[in-house]
Amino acid sequence: MALAHDRTFPVVDELSGLFADRGIRRGSTIGVTGDAAVSLAVALSIGVARSGGWVVAVGLPFVGSMAASELGAELSRWAFIDRPGNQAGDVVHALTASVDLILVGPDIKLRADHGRKIVARMRERGTSVIAVGNPRPFHSRADVSLRIKRAAWTGIGSGHGRLISRRVEVEAIGRGANASPRRQLLWLPDGKGRLSIIDQSDGVKNSSRLIRAENKKVFSELTEPALRAS
Amino acid sequence: MTDARTLVLVIPHWPTIAAGVAYNCPAAVMHMNRVVDATPAAVEQRVVPGIRRREAQRLCPNLEMIDDNEARNARRFHLIVAALESVTPRVEISAGGWCSFPTRGPSRYFGGDQTLAQLVAERALDALCNTLSVTEVPRVIKPRVGIADSRFTACLAAFPKNLPLIQIVAPGTNSQFLAPFPVDTLGNKDSPLVDAADLIDVFRRLGLRTLGDVASLPSDHLLARFGSPGLLAHQLSLGIDGRTPQTHLISDVVTEESEIEPPTDRTETAVFLAKALAEEIHKRLSSEGLACARILVEVESEHGEVCSRYWRHEHHFTPTAITDRVRWQLEGWCHSTTGPTGRLSLVRLVADEVVPDDGRQLGFWGGEAFIDERVVRSLTRIQGMLGSDAVTVVEHREGRRLSDIEQRVSLAVTGFDPDRSVATPEATAAPWPGRLPAPLPAVVFQQTQQLIVTDAEGQPVRVNGRGQIGGDPAHIQGELLGSHLIVGWGGPWFLDERWWDPARKHRQARFQLLLADGTAHLCVVQSEQWWLEASYE
Repeated sequence: MALAHDRTFPVVDELSGLFADRGIRRGSTIGVTGDAAVSLAVALSIGVARSGGWVVAVGLPFVGSMAASELGAELSRWAFIDRPGNQAGDVVHALTASVDLILVGPDIKLRADHGRKIVARMRERGTSVIAVGNPRPFHSRADVSLRIKRAAWTGIGSGHGRLISRRVEVEAIGRGANASPRRQLLWLPDGKGRLSIIDQSDGVKNSSRLIRAENKKVFSELTEPALRAS
Repeated sequence: MTDARTLVLVIPHWPTIAAGVAYNCPAAVMHMNRVVDATPAAVEQRVVPGIRRREAQRLCPNLEMIDDNEARNARRFHLIVAALESVTPRVEISAGGWCSFPTRGPSRYFGGDQTLAQLVAERALDALCNTLSVTEVPRVIKPRVGIADSRFTACLAAFPKNLPLIQIVAPGTNSQFLAPFPVDTLGNKDSPLVDAADLIDVFRRLGLRTLGDVASLPSDHLLARFGSPGLLAHQLSLGIDGRTPQTHLISDVVTEESEIEPPTDRTETAVFLAKALAEEIHKRLSSEGLACARILVEVESEHGEVCSRYWRHEHHFTPTAITDRVRWQLEGWCHSTTGPTGRLSLVRLVADEVVPDDGRQLGFWGGEAFIDERVVRSLTRIQGMLGSDAVTVVEHREGRRLSDIEQRVSLAVTGFDPDRSVATPEATAAPWPGRLPAPLPAVVFQQTQQLIVTDAEGQPVRVNGRGQIGGDPAHIQGELLGSHLIVGWGGPWFLDERWWDPARKHRQARFQLLLADGTAHLCVVQSEQWWLEASYE
């Protein structure tokens, strides 16, 4: 019997709340869009490299490696294929047989039939893809779509201060177990360049909304069995 | 052991010559943050192989640093080897800048070791002058030749710089010649001893300081105390090549060849085929407990031109190492003036010298054994598809600007090493004042893009030499960004790097700009032009 953690790649604690399985399910496609997409994609892959897996970034020549390292990524287990050109399909196909996680950049375009073949092979081999931006055809096949709903920098004024941290609100919508939307408020990055959860008590406005949402969830969980029983 | 009498030709400072730097300007070739080789001009300022990058920069601030590249060394060595082929067809290349051949036939033909050595030195010098397109080179980079009864002795005769350019050790006097050399030479890169550092350390602590001291001990005592490495060290110190080739052991010389169908002009295709052949040879030899120490690589074009070369390895070849040799040879041949006129049609590999495979003891906790074979295979396949530079890994260097720090290095150069460590920002932060503070931008553009930044009145924002800003930046326009209002900005932070070097100096002011759409960017102003360098994506 396969246990849940055998079927998933670990994800850092700060992000595990976004997934029903508390991790990235093997063979799944995760879409990441919005302002902080690159940082979020890097943050998602931290767990894979830490647990000894290999991460290959295809078509992402612009990933800032110092920032990634600051977030906690183990770059010794990363490889980059910056410009696969018109052989992108073959490259991703070759990678699905061996590496654990593939990051696909926004400018990569695969033919639809190629895409279908790759997705089938990913399921079989247990390789996951994180699609950054909207690379075709992964955007329409994502099992979980993460979207940065809001992002706001702190610490900079006009002519004084510097960028220190960024509040982001991430929303995850997916299929199956991930069908109900999940939200997470994060510092991405926090003052030290890392990732951390925003303590819900420090933002009054947001926390009240969260409490309301939480209440609603608790209420629905309470009422659901009752409805079923009736 | 007269059969083993060998001539070794060495061109000093080859890595710097192959890198194409003039020998009179200070430059160093670096590998893994250490100096591998330095030009004579840099050596004068005490930049010697083995010292660290930082130390080298301290000794010689205007030092030009070049990454080591084994393929480049081997490729450019092609011309020198081609010049020697008129002397003997059996030149064996060990590495770029260093080759050897058995002297028995050529020496008799040309009339003695002295004449042969002079001839080889002249030919190599001519070829070197042609490569550098000069008429005269200083003595320090002139080719050096050594002839002796064993390979190890011949290398020692050729390498040291204090000996004459041509050093011939008379037959039977090997051990007298070797005796005064320090015991450290057993660990040279040309020595067949593997991982000799520990053994040498013990020898030194036992008071055995020269090769003569080691040679004077009874060999059975060394064998009893140190096992086979001890015996090998003893034989080397006596001037006997420890491992005699065992060509007679295999019934037929292991040959593998493959026709390229259809013929191709892409070297990668031929290399890909050669890889399969190399693996086949390796498999066949290892099933008999053997390994290949010298390999003949032959490539044919469809017009019948042949390029054949011997390659020697001090220990033994792995399939990957053979594939590398094929690639270097092909690139050298195809880019030279005597290259093939037609497409490539045949690759042939002949393992013509084999030795018993005594294996390699791995560390208890795995080491190489932990490399994930599948990952290596698929990344190598992608290199075959897209070219050898397509797959890169990250290396963090020291510096202030992101483009200096964040470097991508081809996997073909670094090799596949899962235990490789990449410096983290914390580890390198302290000694570089003027670096960007955390958090660092998550998106770094490989090419900076021009921007137009204006103040509220629509006037371009300027920064003067004293670091005063002309007006508050209010509006930004760029090809990639589009047109936006600026709602927050920080800076300017100044950087005035290498002001003493007109070619590499940077004088710039850096800004963080927060735009109305919520995105933040790192921009620089240099010579009154705004550039987008990175984004806090």
